[in-house]
Amino acid sequence: MPWRPLYAVLEREVVRMFRQRTRLVAAMVRPLIWLFVIGAGFGAVLGRASGLSYQQFLVPGVLGMTMLFGAMLAALTVVYDKESGVMRMLIIAPFAHFWIVIGKMLAAALAAILQALLLLIVLALLGYLGGETHFGTLVIGLIATSLACAGIGMLVAAFTRTLDNFAAIMNFVIFPVFFLSGSLYPVNQLPALLRAVALSNPYTYGVDLLKHATLGVRTSGMGADFPLAMDLAILAGFTLAALMVASWRFSRESAYEPMIHILTGKRGS
Amino acid sequence: MNQAADSLLAVRASGLMKRYGQVVAVDGLDLDIPSGQFFGLLGPNGSGKTSTIHMLATLIRPSGGSAKVAGHDVVRDAVKVRGEIGLVFQESALDRSLTVAENLRFAGLLHSLTPATIRERTAELLDLFGLADKTSRPVGSLSGGMRRALDIVRGMIHHPRILFLDEPTIGLDLPNRRSIWRFIDKLRARTGMTVLLTTHYLEEADSCDRIAFIKSGKLVQSGPPGQLVERLARYIVEIESRDIGALSQRLASKLGPYLKDGEVAQFRYSEEDVTPLAKLQGELGTQITALRWRRPNLNDVFLWIAEGKL
Repeated sequence: MPWRPLYAVLEREVVRMFRQRTRLVAAMVRPLIWLFVIGAGFGAVLGRASGLSYQQFLVPGVLGMTMLFGAMLAALTVVYDKESGVMRMLIIAPFAHFWIVIGKMLAAALAAILQALLLLIVLALLGYLGGETHFGTLVIGLIATSLACAGIGMLVAAFTRTLDNFAAIMNFVIFPVFFLSGSLYPVNQLPALLRAVALSNPYTYGVDLLKHATLGVRTSGMGADFPLAMDLAILAGFTLAALMVASWRFSRESAYEPMIHILTGKRGS
Repeated sequence: MNQAADSLLAVRASGLMKRYGQVVAVDGLDLDIPSGQFFGLLGPNGSGKTSTIHMLATLIRPSGGSAKVAGHDVVRDAVKVRGEIGLVFQESALDRSLTVAENLRFAGLLHSLTPATIRERTAELLDLFGLADKTSRPVGSLSGGMRRALDIVRGMIHHPRILFLDEPTIGLDLPNRRSIWRFIDKLRARTGMTVLLTTHYLEEADSCDRIAFIKSGKLVQSGPPGQLVERLARYIVEIESRDIGALSQRLASKLGPYLKDGEVAQFRYSEEDVTPLAKLQGELGTQITALRWRRPNLNDVFLWIAEGKL
């Protein structure tokens, strides 16, 4: 197993993340806006259900959101690497090309976890992490959810040729994945069709794991929707499947062929 | 070919083929490059040079034939091949958001070097390439020439046995091209490694031990540069005339095939005695505006091959 190359990919991701301050600030501000603006707005309409404010209900959702955006943006650096040429350093290095996918996926998960930890500190300071938080479950939730989000990101990155269509990725992947999960509302109370969509969204189970950690299971239905073991099994299964599909895709030349074609002057053929 | 002979060859390609759909980029190429040789692969745009390098570097799969690099098969033992080679691409492989040292650390770690070894070689190579004072500069702030030099350092950090340079000086001005060549000469003198070069600047190929001209993916000529030039002609005769079309056709019966460029036609002349040329000048009189002869160079070999007259 190529440990040092793996470490190199992770280190580069962390260095770049902390160097791109705006990306980091946005990762902190985005969830807080949701928490305070959307949370307060809907909270006023919905009131409290069994002693839980809507803002408190949103905490696992915004935590998940930070990881989803963080992992997606980090995974999409694969596309940036293809465009900028840094991928050349990776494909010429002496290890099998599927390690690039594993490394990039772990790096994306790491970026997501670091951002979630930063947000957790902010949330704790603001008093949003109550005494009922299960820290063991939270750690598992962060790891499993960040890996699954990185999996979604790697799937998108493996099939994306340029960052030109980044807006499309935002609109057709990131937002639907976020909205069609249990982040903003309990899945079990959704209309049948939306519920079916949410149930087939792997991210739903990541948010559910975080609900287990921060809200627990509640009779009001505002807590976790599924058994913890089910969340973990689905996330693990999806992550593995995503890794395999992305590796398969990447082990074919076609994944970096656009670049090869640019180099050989056969662009577009 | 037996094992012992294979191990003396840095590169051995036989019948190497690459097809992109209908397009045949490399068409049955045979190439033997002994260890330690400075080998130039030349040819017009689209002749298959880069495709060849990318197949030898295991980045694309051959559609046919086979190749061994450092004794390893490029398809079956791709990872082993990548461990023995360095590759400097036509375009930068550097991360502009990282510093010089961070880029080299990244490249070194990807080759499983220890951080201590990376620091040591970074200092040594940057010093050799005159970039020692740029260690903590972001790559984005370097000039084009410096970036190219750094890209070569990047390809050298793991001390490869074989270095592939795909048009290393493309897009650089003359002083920068010269300094890149000084670096490469120093590196070769120090390490004795095999270098496979592609370039468009033929004067750069003059210092190669051997060069191979390819066209449409096929090997056209190969040998030491001096020999290829000698083989082309003793002299190149340039005749300038306002009616060069008709004139050159008439002269072709005497002087053989020619290349035409504007009002000038070039003929090959293989005798050392040039008195017949002086006589010809007299005979043609006012039909021509100039007739001159000169020693050929690699550019001539390239042109004659590119025009399909060799």
